[in-house]
Amino acid sequence: MADDKATAAAAGNNPYTQTHVVQSGDSLSKIAQKYYGDPALYTKIFEANRDLLKDPNKIQPGQKLRIP
Amino acid sequence: MKKLSVGLLAVMAALLVVACMNQKAPAEQAVSSAESALAGMRDGAQKYAPDQLQAIDATLQQMKDNFAKGDYKAVVAAVPGFNSALKSLKDTVDAKTQEASEALAKAKDQWEPLSKDVPKMVDAIQSRVDILSKSHHLPKGVTKDSLAAAKSGLDSMKSTWSEASTAATSADFTTAVTKAQAVKDQASGIMKSLGMSSG
Repeated sequence: MADDKATAAAAGNNPYTQTHVVQSGDSLSKIAQKYYGDPALYTKIFEANRDLLKDPNKIQPGQKLRIP
Repeated sequence: MKKLSVGLLAVMAALLVVACMNQKAPAEQAVSSAESALAGMRDGAQKYAPDQLQAIDATLQQMKDNFAKGDYKAVVAAVPGFNSALKSLKDTVDAKTQEASEALAKAKDQWEPLSKDVPKMVDAIQSRVDILSKSHHLPKGVTKDSLAAAKSGLDSMKSTWSEASTAATSADFTTAVTKAQAVKDQASGIMKSLGMSSG
């Protein structure tokens, strides 16, 4: 988890960090599958977006997530 | 008649000596001025116009040799050519100095955004490589080879970026920009290969 926080800090203000706009039906696991090939890595996305997300199971269409 | 001729020769010889003596001071002054003028622009000339400098050095050496031989007339006669070559050399050095100054200013301007952008690109790639290295499967479009290339690319980008930063610290912005741009281009390619270019 400390590793995830380091990833989040690096992604925070970096304009070169990829972004993903949440679509209806998306989950962090699905997004992790798309970008990392592994749904278990959803925590990386969650930690990088802690300013937007309080719960990894609650994401809203239209949210622009950082994909570290 | 013979007495008159001997007298005339003596006068002519005396005039020649006087003429030579009269030319010695201007010749000495010419050599001294030429050396001084050339010394003032030698550094710039060596950098921007070495061929012209070599030619004018040869002219100056010829003037010195002629002076040493007592051929003051030849020394004085060489002055216009030397001055002309010196002016041409100065024009070349001035133009190239101006050109270099403009190139340096341009490179300095280019360095500013590169110095901010490139480390962020490298950080973004490092982050993605670290995450993909933990993934049990790679995402669509990303191969093991492209991930391996990204890993080795990170090493070379960091090394080149370090060289760019060192060059910038030494105010060599031309080298810094060339190296930074190379890292940026490499980073763009790696980001594309890792599928980081689009959301």
